[in-house]
Amino acid sequence: MAEVVLQHVMKTYGNIYAVNDVSFTVNDGEFVALVGPSGCGKTTTLNLIAGLLPMSGGDISIGDRVVNDLDPKDRDIAMVFQNYALYPNKTVFQNLAFPLKMRKLPKDQIEQKVQSAAKLLDITHLLERKPRELSGGQQQRVALGRALVRDPAVFLMDEPLSNLDAKLRVQMRSEIKRFHHNLNATIVYVTHDQLEAVTMANKMAVMNGGLLLQYDTPANVFANPVNTFVASFVGSPAMSLIPLEGHTSADGASLHSPEGWSLPLSLMNGRKVAASTTNQIVLGARHSTLKLHKSQVPGSVPGKVYTVEPTGDVTFAQVFINGAVVNISVEPSVLLSPDEIVFIEFDQERIHLFDGATTMALQAA
Amino acid sequence: MTTISERAVSRRNRVDWWRWAGRLFLVLVLGFTVMPMIWMIITSLKTGFAAMQYPPQWWPASPTLENYTRLLDPSGRIGQDFLHYFWNSLWVSTITTVLAVVVAVPAAYAFSRFRFPGRNFLFFAVLLRNMFPAVVFLVPLFILMKALGLVNTHGSLILTYLTFGLPLAIWLLKGFYDNIPIQLEQAARIDGATRFQAFIFVVMPLSTPGIIATSIYSFIGAWNEYIYAYTFLTKQSQMTLPVGIQRFFSENATDWPGLMAATFIMSVPVVVLFLVLQKYFVQALTEGAVKH
Repeated sequence: MAEVVLQHVMKTYGNIYAVNDVSFTVNDGEFVALVGPSGCGKTTTLNLIAGLLPMSGGDISIGDRVVNDLDPKDRDIAMVFQNYALYPNKTVFQNLAFPLKMRKLPKDQIEQKVQSAAKLLDITHLLERKPRELSGGQQQRVALGRALVRDPAVFLMDEPLSNLDAKLRVQMRSEIKRFHHNLNATIVYVTHDQLEAVTMANKMAVMNGGLLLQYDTPANVFANPVNTFVASFVGSPAMSLIPLEGHTSADGASLHSPEGWSLPLSLMNGRKVAASTTNQIVLGARHSTLKLHKSQVPGSVPGKVYTVEPTGDVTFAQVFINGAVVNISVEPSVLLSPDEIVFIEFDQERIHLFDGATTMALQAA
Repeated sequence: MTTISERAVSRRNRVDWWRWAGRLFLVLVLGFTVMPMIWMIITSLKTGFAAMQYPPQWWPASPTLENYTRLLDPSGRIGQDFLHYFWNSLWVSTITTVLAVVVAVPAAYAFSRFRFPGRNFLFFAVLLRNMFPAVVFLVPLFILMKALGLVNTHGSLILTYLTFGLPLAIWLLKGFYDNIPIQLEQAARIDGATRFQAFIFVVMPLSTPGIIATSIYSFIGAWNEYIYAYTFLTKQSQMTLPVGIQRFFSENATDWPGLMAATFIMSVPVVVLFLVLQKYFVQALTEGAVKH
């Protein structure tokens, strides 16, 4: 196992920046998720680490070696592909043996390593089958097996779960997590599903438009998103964002809505607004931090119910506030009907304030 | 309940009617393609006299293999000539096929996997030759072969047949390579293979059906070709089968049974090739490689 360091990594196609000045360090034994929407550059970044694409700039090192000019085969990595990429004309045994055979290991060692990898992943009974005779979950396991049989320095995984059905995905999620725990493996894992990133990874790197926006533990990313993109990307349902107008006066700061109401801010939040260069402020709040009242209470703002989605444990209400859709979770016992006027109370400790022009989170001066 | 089941029955009848119409059509097409071959075999078993009879003998009164033994007898003059033509055809077709595959495999792979300037232009330019009827090139190619000193050599035919076969071979094979997921090669390269090893160990086995289909295609093209062989070669010792067989016509009276026997023998390699290799056509080897 080894650490992976990316420094100012660039990948350009003409004047398109697929990966734009990305730097981060994956510590030894860490599970890092690269997450972002389609086309954000996460898979390109992974392919750069693998050496499948030439870099346009920057440095990548694995362990204590700079690998910029090394072939994929010399980087001591293993990769699990979204479509598994099992060799269709080889049996499961031959698939697992291939990386060892290419490294010219003696036959008895190959046999022994393949058997122990198969045992670990519970695919011993499948060794003589061809990939097409396996179910999706079994193919996934074989792909994992082919990656771990060689005991590489780093595991690269490119959306390995997205071809599985929902139930199997949850099961394999915990298996990969267990795999990471058992092997103490260094893993770089690409996914577009923020839930996978949050549930599995030690750290997540949120990317958009080729840029690395935030690199931190899932808890920190969840608690302190750096901008509105990260705020709305991480968490389910997404954080609600309400564009408002910031005002500061001697009495303190408040946010004003063109609908006529205003929300007074706490001292801390007021200082953030005061430090802002613009009065366009975006108020962000997660569903669980909002309180819904049927009648007005001090510090609450009015909204109109759009839809109500009971899920059993909890009911999600979508409420229009100042033209923005806001997700709120309420007890299933609370009965709401569409177009009902309700009042929303914000938790000043847990709201997020963003600069409406730059989308960045506001900092207190 | 009754109306539903009645409707189901009538629907099934309608389906059956179409199915039978389809079968009838297939039988007619089958007869149309098979009848000449059957007639060829029957005639080849007749004596020269029986073949000329009218009304024709539907079944030879005294079937004989004499036409075949005559053609395949290395000691007789006819047998010597025929076997010589056969050998010439086999040689020309085999070399054409080998060269076509050797050139088409890397070309098709490059067109499929690499992005280089002029890629699309070149790819369509490859087809330019096939947009004109073959005869158009007869005279230009003859002049060219003459300038190269290749007239009356098998090299002239092999070169010419390559210009027919290669474009389609490249197109056919590119389709195969396009269907092999690039992740398989990437996986192989990460698993310790060089790019070339990934091609040899992973891509080549998967494109075997394509290579075999291409080979058969170019072999048959070369095996059956007549006009160029007739134009480029004048020495009897070099003639290929299609031209050589024509000599059966040129005597005072056409030897129909001999001609038919020769034609039948000529079709044997092609049929055998198909029978032996057909499973590769249908074998969907990439199935199970990736999840779609």
